Amino acid sequence: MSEASAAISCRNVWQVFGADAEQKLAKALDETGGAPAGAADLLRAQDLIPAVQDACFDVKEGELFVIMGLSGSGKSTLIRCISRLLDSTKGEILISGEDIMTASKARMIELRRHKLGMVFQHFGLFPHMTVGENVAFPLKMQGTGKKERLQRALEVINLVGLEGRQEAYPRELSGGQRQRVGIARSLAVNPDIWFLDEPFSALDPLIRRQLQDEFLNIQRTLKKSIVFITHDITEALKLADRIAIMRDGAIVQIGTPADIVLKPVDDYVAEFSRDVATGRHATVDSVMKSGKDINDKLKDDPGLRTDMTLEAALASCMSLYEEVPVRDEKGNLVGTVSPNELAKASLQLEADK
Amino acid sequence: MSALPSALSQFVDKNRAASALFVVVAVGFLCLALQPVAPWLFKWPAALQIPAAEWIGAGLGFILEAFKPIARGFSALMSYPMAGANFLFVSTPWPITIGVVTAIGWYIGGWRMAALGLFGLLFVLASGYWVEGMNTLALVAVSVPLALLAGLAIGMLAYEYPRFKSPVQAVLDVMQTVPTFAYLTPLLLLFGFGPVVGLIASAIYAAPPMARNVLLGLERVESEIKEAAVMSGGTRLQQLFLVELPSATTQIMVGVNQCLMAALSMVIIAAVIGGFNDIGWEVLLTMRKAQFGQSFLAGLVIVVFAIIIDRMSAKLAQERSRHDKRVVYGIGATGVVISIALLLGGSLPNPSELAVFDAIADAVDKSLGAFTAANGANLDAIKNNIVFFMLLPLRIGLDGAVLPFTWGFQWTPDMSLWLFAVAAILAAALAYSGRALGAVMLLFTVLLVETGIAELPWLFVLFGVGVLGYLSGGRKLSILVVVLMGLILISGLWERALLSLYLSGVSVFACALVGGASGLLCAVSPLAWRIVRPICDMLQTIPLFVFLIPVLMFFQIGEFSAFLAICAYAIVPMIRYTQHGLTTTPHELLDAATTSGATAWQTLVEVRAPYAMPTILLGLNQTILYAFAMLVIAALIGTTGLGQSIFLALGKADVGLGIAAGAAMAILALVADRLVQGFAEERRKALGL
Repeated sequence: MSEASAAISCRNVWQVFGADAEQKLAKALDETGGAPAGAADLLRAQDLIPAVQDACFDVKEGELFVIMGLSGSGKSTLIRCISRLLDSTKGEILISGEDIMTASKARMIELRRHKLGMVFQHFGLFPHMTVGENVAFPLKMQGTGKKERLQRALEVINLVGLEGRQEAYPRELSGGQRQRVGIARSLAVNPDIWFLDEPFSALDPLIRRQLQDEFLNIQRTLKKSIVFITHDITEALKLADRIAIMRDGAIVQIGTPADIVLKPVDDYVAEFSRDVATGRHATVDSVMKSGKDINDKLKDDPGLRTDMTLEAALASCMSLYEEVPVRDEKGNLVGTVSPNELAKASLQLEADK
Repeated sequence: MSALPSALSQFVDKNRAASALFVVVAVGFLCLALQPVAPWLFKWPAALQIPAAEWIGAGLGFILEAFKPIARGFSALMSYPMAGANFLFVSTPWPITIGVVTAIGWYIGGWRMAALGLFGLLFVLASGYWVEGMNTLALVAVSVPLALLAGLAIGMLAYEYPRFKSPVQAVLDVMQTVPTFAYLTPLLLLFGFGPVVGLIASAIYAAPPMARNVLLGLERVESEIKEAAVMSGGTRLQQLFLVELPSATTQIMVGVNQCLMAALSMVIIAAVIGGFNDIGWEVLLTMRKAQFGQSFLAGLVIVVFAIIIDRMSAKLAQERSRHDKRVVYGIGATGVVISIALLLGGSLPNPSELAVFDAIADAVDKSLGAFTAANGANLDAIKNNIVFFMLLPLRIGLDGAVLPFTWGFQWTPDMSLWLFAVAAILAAALAYSGRALGAVMLLFTVLLVETGIAELPWLFVLFGVGVLGYLSGGRKLSILVVVLMGLILISGLWERALLSLYLSGVSVFACALVGGASGLLCAVSPLAWRIVRPICDMLQTIPLFVFLIPVLMFFQIGEFSAFLAICAYAIVPMIRYTQHGLTTTPHELLDAATTSGATAWQTLVEVRAPYAMPTILLGLNQTILYAFAMLVIAALIGTTGLGQSIFLALGKADVGLGIAAGAAMAILALVADRLVQGFAEERRKALGL
């Protein structure tokens, strides 16, 4: 994870609410020798709210980075720090290497007009504008001509599947359609960085799943660098390249979906994935035997690959009992696994929890 | 015997409010008992009063004199748009005016609004007050844009710079609680006689509701909408003007509606200073000449204007369907065509020739005369009974009001002692059976009735207000209200303030009883609400001034007429809020009560009423403020107290007295407002709302 390839880079970001937050934070960090948890406790004792504590992470170019946590865990505050809707109390936030915390107002407007897009939980649509005008609004801010921006708006409206609704007003649309407008608006300027703040949480489950799938499709073609906020572990596991789990303002674990499910750092994280079918998220490489003495003369070869989920792997060796080989994407033999262990892994993991 | 103190302390703990109020009542009786030895406990010594009115008069006079040239310049400047608007409204041929208003009505709200505009204006035409009406509208048309602009600017300023917010809100409070008549006097000195004073006064009076609604609307724009504007890369000005203001349109339109109504109401009140041939002046003139038929007719014209303006502008604040613009142009064109046709025919009738109601007005006058002649005795009986047996005792106490020629006997100090003794025994019995608050209320009522509100000892009032403030909002509020009331005390306006307090108190009490009962009835019977609701709508649309006409028609000038006018105006919020509070109990609560086996009555008493309490208290609060607002207007038909002083000050152009009395009035309103709000807030918190 080199600096060059990081689209967003957060270094020790703090957001503390309350009077004299900056001085009190500095003092608290001094007193605790820089330990975030201790400093946070000190601040709480003074009736301040450390909503985000010492957040450190990078989002790579084209990565879908999900921040997951319960309500009040600070995830919405964190995304507002990164988009600088809030000024962080302390730390460093780089977007494509540029420090946005010291960026001028004018520079932020510039960035927002060209580089950043954001989708909101309750859509944040302008009630007095039509769908088309809503979507074209960021382009209007850029100073794009009317004809050109309406044309571009039509393109994105079609992209999110709202053909023909550009003349409608937000109040005439269903919740799912409104969020499509929100997504279209955030994509209108073709931003590099895409913030999504619980975009699907206000929708009913069927629409939510549908929009998640469409969102993944869009992302596959557009390859944005994304920060996605959710409180729903299933959504996080389904969408994320990597997940950061937040609790009471602190990031407790960052990892791939499989890491979160298979190697939770503590009971809190484990509790989240408790009801998640492990086999669906853990991949074969997490249970395979690897090393120098791989047995390459195995009888059966159902074609297991390292990135297959346990569920899929189990399905393809239903009637097998002997050890089978596992290959990587290029087809090189990298390890072995016995169907028995595969089954046990998913079952035992679930029994563990 | 040792059980008694502990029982007492337990009792005190449980009944904090009751015991605090008991101390208040005790102080009251103490003052009463000590009156012979220490009269200064009763009446604030004149030596300790400061001549506030003179000081304010001198100080303000100096300032006003300094600003006079600027004001006169402004006055001269404003005379141009005024003349323009006047010319436009009066000399536009009436068919065009009617056509345009009808067309606007159609555009805003379809055939209903079009019909309202058409028939409303036809009525004005037929009333014979077309020119006067148009003069009034011209004033409104100039003052409203001023008020809207000022309101918009103030609202946006308070929103953009949060540190201005609380001072701005304080100023708005003052602008709205200081009685309208009170600032007419300094305006008169500043701007000189003439319609410009009415214009400025109405702009001052109408700007606060606009400012409040702009601020509220902007604050209520969803934070995500604001953030979306930021993230779209808008500059602050783009965010404000392209996103936040348009998103707040609905609330701002509510402000426009209130602003229009306030301006109309004030323009009519300002007619008191005269100098302009408008409809308010017409009402005043005919009232003075006791031509009640004409005055009633002119009053109706005002009501028609108020309804048209209110309903049309209220429609703007609602979601509405778009109406065909071709019809709009069609209607407007019809008006033009009729005018041209009439003009070419050389016979566009002068509006005054079209008055068809003069005969009716005369008939109303005659039949009213006949009615009062026939029923004069009955009307007088109603009036006298209420005045002698209710109003007067409350005002100057039984010891003053019970006289041989009204009650048939003379009140003696012995009777007072007997009354107190009986009350004490009853109160003790009540307290013993656990109803401590009831006991205190009984003692309090007896004290009030014996002494009279206007003659209450100052120490008792101050102490009582302080304790109420403490119970309602803690130490801070307690200090605030005591200091404010203390200001009135040392300013020498105390007696007049108590008189005002008495009249508004009695009116509020009557409104609370009657309005509360009506609200209850409307809550349980949808039919009653269907009948009462339009009446409430109507009463709230009518400008204050018009309330005076019917009461004068039947009861002549005097305190009783003022009392009726105040009640008619101030009862509406009590009815509305009671009905609203009682009917908006959440369904789960009602279901829970039903499944617990509660009868409808039990549900009402045990669930709905407690849940509605904060809302009802807010209604009471509104009623109090309405009563104070009307109290000053009612001074026109004869009240004593601060209202009268303000009105006299206007006549004598005595700025000091006007402002001092106006400020005292505002203090009374403010204190009542804060106390009731505090209790409402406390109830809301207790209910977790």
